[in-house]
Amino acid sequence: MADKQLDTTTAASAFQKQWFADLRRRVFDERQPYALLQADVPFELFDLLEIPAVSNQWWASIIAAKRQAPQFLGAMDADGLHCGLCRYCSLGFASTRYAYAGEPPWGGLPTPRLLCARLTCDCIHRVFELWAEAFGAELFEIDHPGAGELPERWWELGRRQWRELVEPHRLAFLVSTLESLVERLEAISGRAFDRNALRDRLELVNQQEEVFDDVRQLIATAPECPVRMTEQITNVMATQWVRGSDWAIAHARAFRDEVQQRVDAGVAACPGERARLMWVGAGLWHDTGFYTAFESSHRAVFVWSMYLAFGPDGYIRYGLDDPMAALASRTASFNEYLHNPPWAAEWLVHQARAHRIDGALVLRPRSMKPAATGRLFIERALEDAGIPVLPIEADVVDGREWDADAARADVRSFLETRVLQ
Amino acid sequence: MKEPFVVASWPSVPVEIVRAAGFRAVFARGASAPTPTADQHLEPGVFPRRLRHLVEHALTGRLSDAARIVIPRTSDTDYKCFLYLREFVRSGVTSALPPVILFDLLQSGGAQIGGYDAARAHALLDALASASGRKPSADDLRQEIVRANGARSAARRLVVFRRIVPRVTGTELFPLLAAFWELEPERYVAAVNGAARAFAKRPALSGPRVLLTGVPVDGPELHQAIESHGAIVVAEIGPWGSGAAGDDVRVDDDPIRAVADKYRADAVGARTPAASLRRWTERMLDDVDAVVVSLPPEDAVFGWDYPALRDMLQARGMPHVCLRSDQDQALTPDEHARLEVMVSAASTLQEARHG
Ligand code: SF4
Ligand code: SF4
Repeated sequence: MADKQLDTTTAASAFQKQWFADLRRRVFDERQPYALLQADVPFELFDLLEIPAVSNQWWASIIAAKRQAPQFLGAMDADGLHCGLCRYCSLGFASTRYAYAGEPPWGGLPTPRLLCARLTCDCIHRVFELWAEAFGAELFEIDHPGAGELPERWWELGRRQWRELVEPHRLAFLVSTLESLVERLEAISGRAFDRNALRDRLELVNQQEEVFDDVRQLIATAPECPVRMTEQITNVMATQWVRGSDWAIAHARAFRDEVQQRVDAGVAACPGERARLMWVGAGLWHDTGFYTAFESSHRAVFVWSMYLAFGPDGYIRYGLDDPMAALASRTASFNEYLHNPPWAAEWLVHQARAHRIDGALVLRPRSMKPAATGRLFIERALEDAGIPVLPIEADVVDGREWDADAARADVRSFLETRVLQ
Repeated sequence: MKEPFVVASWPSVPVEIVRAAGFRAVFARGASAPTPTADQHLEPGVFPRRLRHLVEHALTGRLSDAARIVIPRTSDTDYKCFLYLREFVRSGVTSALPPVILFDLLQSGGAQIGGYDAARAHALLDALASASGRKPSADDLRQEIVRANGARSAARRLVVFRRIVPRVTGTELFPLLAAFWELEPERYVAAVNGAARAFAKRPALSGPRVLLTGVPVDGPELHQAIESHGAIVVAEIGPWGSGAAGDDVRVDDDPIRAVADKYRADAVGARTPAASLRRWTERMLDDVDAVVVSLPPEDAVFGWDYPALRDMLQARGMPHVCLRSDQDQALTPDEHARLEVMVSAASTLQEARHG
């Protein structure tokens, strides 16, 4: 993998590792409860009740990046879980259920007090139930009502008119489910939930996402991309799981300031940039070197992924008189924003234009079937907007069948024939 | 004039509500025919055939006579199909489509779910009623519940001919059970009664009794393949076969709630809680000699249940086979060979048991 260009990236990586070590110590030594959450669960509620929370997708990305995935994936295969079953959200489960097969990073996950997942893809209920069973821990499920109305330009409505974004019955359902979750968390932590504290926290989350909005703007408008996509992701991921905390806000600001300095000084991630690329889909965690592999040969730089861009558009909620409703409105439609027509394609085209994207690489997930839906709408919309698309068939955590050389050759030829001609 | 009808993508859309609103329900089913138009828009390997066919029909104008298309939220692919259909209309890919309605039936166990589902069932009734112009009262819906319950009890009578000592093959019985969803209840009861009289006179069938589980089938093709080896399929998971009838819908003063509760609990699909499928399977195992697990290529869900099921079967010493072929296409020679081995192992065990 390429060296880190930003000091804040190094700090973000160090923070995550230290945070996890602290978590293990608190769980093992102080017997503190913690929770294991699907990435789209509102972490704020856990944090406000002082139950630290680990994101499943983040943990999967760490296992894959540390090259520990193949052993656990092999154990899943050997146990008869067919290869069409998604390996992304289930890699963490595999590292628990088949712990004997490999060495999970950083000592592995301790036993959580609670697992919590939104039931988006159908498999989540299965994966989390099996996982809860393997841990002997409790599972709280947040069901996912389907959206019947999808108004245009969700990223604009979401900030101030978020009530218009989610149909009233879905919003009410989510609010009451989150209230039930809070009751469970209160019982576990022995603390009382403070609604004013939730409002304050969401205000801080807004502040953090506003800072990311600034960063996104800097990246979109600077003559050359000042920060690699991979480093954007590290900085965003580290802060998103503890969003609204003092550290997260301070780090987001430090990140912005460093990016600003680079822009002011005319420092580019890939000087002499010739092609600006967009990555659509979850990250290729087992081969992050892929994202910097075309810089020296073609001066092609990955400028955009959903990880930074989604923060400001997906999370900012102004008008917090009913903070639980605001939180619910954010939680209700993550999948629709990111995967489904018309929302995902509409947003991606808008983002591509704002970032002066020359070519889009769209993940064609091998096993993540539900996450694969919507892809053809996205590819078509980008092409219709004049942005050439290269589909990349891959699994984000399972690199066993990934032919890194062939994929790089495909990208080179895409750049030469469709982007740089 | 043709009777007004609505098309639904899975039998988790309550027929009682459809009928109370003045429509006949037609359900999407899989078939082996190609779906070239749908294939341009649906990602490969994700959507089951019944949805590929539904989209094919939608995009080639063959659903234009339907009053409404109703898609239940009882699987992620159904939900995606709903969003796609809406998008085809919005973006002008097709204009010949009746309005598409999402029936947002949730199946998890939270405290909020019952009330939510009842409200969604109400919204469905209202949406269909405004399409037909007929405003059904609570009594009208109760009336439909009573009619469908009559058909349910007939379907349960059929199931008796396959339990314990089977007298009829799964290939023959499955279409009769499946007809519950589309036939008028009185015609269904008459058809069942006629069939039941004939079945009662038949001798008991020999051959190991098979449970078909995994991804619910919507046609008898797999039954045929399994039974070609001398076994009898005596139960299958899902709403089209053994589960078509299930328990009656409560007849009480809140018929909407009663319908919603019934379908949430009984409409087996990808979002049915795993524990309730496990309980059903365990109950079935007492009356079968072997198990076939069908996990077709698009499966993203039921495969998660396989290791536990396999362990349970091994503990009972019960032979089983796991099939990965498309449910609407011929099995591979290897799968046939494995079925043959399973059937002969089950026969040996059966003989040993009966001395
Ligand atoms: S299909 Fe979706 S929810 Fe399921 S494991 Fe994959 S990414 Fe996660
Ligand atoms: S891939 Fe999509 S559905 Fe799966 S966890 Fe990520 S955002 Fe959710």
